[in-house]
Amino acid sequence: MILLGRRVQVEQRMAVPKSAVVIVPVVSVVFALVVGGVFLALTGHPPIRTYLDLLDNGYTSFYGITDTLGLATPLICTGLAAAFAFRMNLYSIGQEGQMYLGMIGGTWVGIVLADSLPPLIAVPSVLVFGAIAGAAWIAVPAFLRARLGTSEIVSTLLLNYVALNLVNYFIFGSTGFFRDPTTSFPQGRAVAESARLSPMAFFTDKVTNAYPTLFVAILLAVFLFWFMRVSNYGYETAVYADSPNTARYAGMNSAWLQSSVLLVSGALAGVGGAMYVVGPAGKVDPGLLQVGLGYAGIVVAALARYNFLAVVLAAVLFAGLRTGGNALQVSNDPVPIAIAVVLQGAVLLFALGGELFRRNKVTLVRVQRATT
Amino acid sequence: MANLAIVTSASIQHGAGGVLALAARAVTKRFPGVIANDQVNFDLARGEVHTLLGENGAGKSTLASVLCGLYRPEAGQVVRDGKEVRLNSPRDGLAHGIAMVHQHFRLVDRFTVAENVVLGHKSLSFVLATAEIEAKVAAITEEFGLPLDPRAVVGELSAGERQRVEIVKALYQGAEILLLDEPTALLAPPEVEKLFLTVRAMTHVGKSVVFVSHKLGEVVDISDRITVMRGGKVTGSVRRGEADVRRLAELMVGREINIVSRRAKSPVGEVLLSVSQVHLERDGAAMLTDINLEVRGGEIVGVAGVAGNGQRDLAEVIAGLCAPQQGNVTVCGTPTAGRGAGGARRAGLAYVPEDRLGTGLAPSMSIRDNLVLTRVRDFLVDRKSALLEAETFIKQLEIKTPGPLTPTRKLSGGNAQKVLLAREIFAVSGARVLVVCSPTRGLDVGAVETVHALLDEARDAGKAILLVSEDLDEVMTLADRVLVLYRGRITLEQTGLDTNVDRVGQAMAGITT
Repeated sequence: MILLGRRVQVEQRMAVPKSAVVIVPVVSVVFALVVGGVFLALTGHPPIRTYLDLLDNGYTSFYGITDTLGLATPLICTGLAAAFAFRMNLYSIGQEGQMYLGMIGGTWVGIVLADSLPPLIAVPSVLVFGAIAGAAWIAVPAFLRARLGTSEIVSTLLLNYVALNLVNYFIFGSTGFFRDPTTSFPQGRAVAESARLSPMAFFTDKVTNAYPTLFVAILLAVFLFWFMRVSNYGYETAVYADSPNTARYAGMNSAWLQSSVLLVSGALAGVGGAMYVVGPAGKVDPGLLQVGLGYAGIVVAALARYNFLAVVLAAVLFAGLRTGGNALQVSNDPVPIAIAVVLQGAVLLFALGGELFRRNKVTLVRVQRATT
Repeated sequence: MANLAIVTSASIQHGAGGVLALAARAVTKRFPGVIANDQVNFDLARGEVHTLLGENGAGKSTLASVLCGLYRPEAGQVVRDGKEVRLNSPRDGLAHGIAMVHQHFRLVDRFTVAENVVLGHKSLSFVLATAEIEAKVAAITEEFGLPLDPRAVVGELSAGERQRVEIVKALYQGAEILLLDEPTALLAPPEVEKLFLTVRAMTHVGKSVVFVSHKLGEVVDISDRITVMRGGKVTGSVRRGEADVRRLAELMVGREINIVSRRAKSPVGEVLLSVSQVHLERDGAAMLTDINLEVRGGEIVGVAGVAGNGQRDLAEVIAGLCAPQQGNVTVCGTPTAGRGAGGARRAGLAYVPEDRLGTGLAPSMSIRDNLVLTRVRDFLVDRKSALLEAETFIKQLEIKTPGPLTPTRKLSGGNAQKVLLAREIFAVSGARVLVVCSPTRGLDVGAVETVHALLDEARDAGKAILLVSEDLDEVMTLADRVLVLYRGRITLEQTGLDTNVDRVGQAMAGITT
């Protein structure tokens, strides 16, 4: 590529400088904002003011940040799920479907068992069942991957559509167990009160959309960060991810590693769906289908470079763009949600593009005439 | 051979014209933690074969990469035909007629020879003029003695033939100066001979060759000049005729090399490894047939053979990585056949595979983390003791690395092998049987010394060692007993001082008397 008589030269870095770890993501976000700003300006919205609105509605106002944290809660889980699998070079993109199944499984427990249980047991059992349901949803792809080497990308993706239609069937297509029997309006049957958590008030008397499950999600991230660093399981998966031949040489069971990692990934996504049940929804809610938190989890994992702690930050950042974008739609000068989506896309694109700068040294070199 | 001598002397006269084709002036190139080239000067005359000799990590390949445009030096110049040139990429190098053939070939397996040769060539027509290209390729192979079928698919060629494709490719693109990085590493002796003929044919027409090597013996014959590097600096340079192998070796390693036979020092103990009537088939083809062998504590049993005669299968069967259809393997009294790698290890086996970085070590993980690879690990991995161990090994074995947390892929071959051997010999507690495959392949003189000393030490400590190597000299120097593997069978067994090199050599070629 030649620019203004100079050639862009890309050279692989031998070591990644510490500063690049911080600078590259920041610069990526700035570039994304500039690109988004161009779109805003083109559609007749003042970019700076719109961004300030976005900042306020997504992060700095009370309802803005609590909405963001509420949305980030299941997003952290799907982000962890994606990061957990991707670190092992297992590219499961089934978090969306596993999350629906987590919602279904959690709701089932919430309806069947929770009535007879105190909240202290009912809520965790909803989450655990969500995890089991999420893991069950990935069990077949995991088995196919570990035993037959079938691509988990295709199998997990296809199951997302099955899960989506399953939710639609339960609510719209049938009058079965998950459908609310008390009304003809198609909506889910509510779980027992003991299986619900109340929203956090953050020392005020306001009702927010953030639930204590946020701390569960953060704890999960911290635990995974620690566990995968110090445990034998973390060690073995790291060896396998680095070199499957080395893992075989060391006598590791690759089928077990592959399938267990996928199952845990499914469980994490499932917990995300179950958090939706104990939190805002309280039932099988087709509204979750609109949000796309499963796919967003992949984006979050990529932004966080599969680092479990960074997933928390990336999820909050990403959720804020979404809540801020939603709020802009209903402001005095409505900005189409499409712009917010463009912004999200730009953040991802630049974050991934920034990877080039982290791994490589890019310099401009004066193009020299070929000397003869 | 008489023929060759004439060609060579002609090429020297040619070079004696003193026309400098290429030179490096005070080139400095750093990598994190090391100065790979420190103010290096180097020059190459037209029609000359100039060898860069040195241990792994001495900076020879770095210098060659600078000369061909792959690396840019931090300081110093590259001079081509008397003018300074700035090479920003190998493509710039090619524009100046400089091409490098790398140790690891850069070819597309599914393409034909001709397709690979024109790959990356700038002036290609939209539809390939295949016949024309093939004719030109054939002409080059003819002129320089590089027998190749332009239509053969590269994936089906031997290492030697692939190397020829790389050379033809460089010549096709108009290279006047060819840099060959460790060109003989993968070649069998007859192929080395052919390569040397090609090199001479090139210098005869005025092309120049830089030969990068760590194999002392072979470079003396081919070179007009030899420049020795150590630790990123040039330590000496000799002309043809002045080359004295001992002197060169000292320049390379910076100390005197001591070559002694290490045979039969320790008394032989009980049988620790036994393989009986092992039969292995893969995809219906017999890989191992009726293998019987025993290794006692305190002895090294060498398995010699030409590559591809079942050495790898034998090692994998013993290491538990593949289960034989028939037969038994016993490690320290425990039968292990079919019990997996873990089973063999638990019984007391340590294994150093041929492929260091892709199998024996996890390349992106640190030295410390690689040391726990074959240990029995608890639920939480004990990295503290591994760190201490890594520090000890680095000090004792003089492993060149910035520290114990450096990924093993950043180590040179010799240093990686030291880490691997140290782990398998010392770090794995209780392993009394050691299977070692081609432990010195691709290593320089100094590292070979260390590896042999380590194996020697392990034997003196009473371990039973099975040394599988294609390097006959190595087997003859180290082993107390020698077995020859030919087409999956043990065709010869000789003990100690009775070992007859000629008979072993014949058995490797399939001749048994």
